[in-house]
Amino acid sequence: MAAKAAFPHDYRYGTSRPWTIAAQRLNPPGKKRRKVFVEPIANEDWHVLRGDTVEILSGKDKGKQGKVAQVFRRRNWVILEGLNTHYRYIGRSGDYRGTYIASEAPLLLKDVTLIDPTDRKPTDIEWRYTEEGERVRVSVRTGRIIPKPVYQRKDGIIPQQWKDGPKDTSPEDTLQTTYTPSLKTLEEEVMEKMNIQEDRRPRKSYWY
Amino acid sequence: MAEWTSKRGPRTFYKSRGARPTGVLTSSRKFIPVQAMIPEFVVPSLEGFNLKPYVSYKTPAGTEQPMTPEMLFNQVVAPQIERDIEEGVFNEENLEKYGLEKTQEGKLFKLHPKNFAR
Repeated sequence: MAAKAAFPHDYRYGTSRPWTIAAQRLNPPGKKRRKVFVEPIANEDWHVLRGDTVEILSGKDKGKQGKVAQVFRRRNWVILEGLNTHYRYIGRSGDYRGTYIASEAPLLLKDVTLIDPTDRKPTDIEWRYTEEGERVRVSVRTGRIIPKPVYQRKDGIIPQQWKDGPKDTSPEDTLQTTYTPSLKTLEEEVMEKMNIQEDRRPRKSYWY
Repeated sequence: MAEWTSKRGPRTFYKSRGARPTGVLTSSRKFIPVQAMIPEFVVPSLEGFNLKPYVSYKTPAGTEQPMTPEMLFNQVVAPQIERDIEEGVFNEENLEKYGLEKTQEGKLFKLHPKNFAR
């Protein structure tokens, strides 16, 4: 099992993943930077999920609505697709200045709000329980439930539309239970099935 | 660099990569292969075997719980003990007939200390 990655308590989390070169430049081993203060939000109170449509309240793209592409819980950041962008060159080498692309900057959670799906206006959100006991996000202004966004896989595969290849086990074969519990180990059962007799025992050996 | 393997170091550096010997080297530097030390794969016939290397994305998550020692006992040994108690044949000294072993001595595959690799 891989060990859980350990970060120092004053690690500055950026938009790049911790194993990338950009993150290593941001956090060289001996650095001491001014601490970033992050408003602590409990796991239960976090209401913006990836795939939600939110509206920006302040900044360059104030008033625009966009889909959430990434969420950074460590810094209360949200990155929207194509909004709040600045432009930079990427992949420059030698004399070639690189491709000019738009890269999104993260927005703090308090600068975005969720949108009521019916009238498409920004609202405040509360977590409430339905009659069945399910915990849902409810808009305070209109009282309508905001459904959870559909989870889309990063590799673009939609499980319902997947076509099985020659090396794929079908769902019926996978979910078949053929296990009968018994006190024999797998090796003993296989020996019994294939009529292998083994009377020799290994010689006693020691290791330290 | 992380691991110190046989690919690093000077040309006189020898380090094995974990291969076990398959025979005996005699005093006249002749190598005699021993058939019992050479691994042999015993594979049953795969007629009617439908499992393939990969699992389809369409499969829903399974609902079976992982097997614990308590569950194994309850499913395998407990019914036999209950049946014996009802018949009045239950004997505390004769627990071997339910599959419970007193010692691991003399067994080919010992459970503790585990002497099979899996």
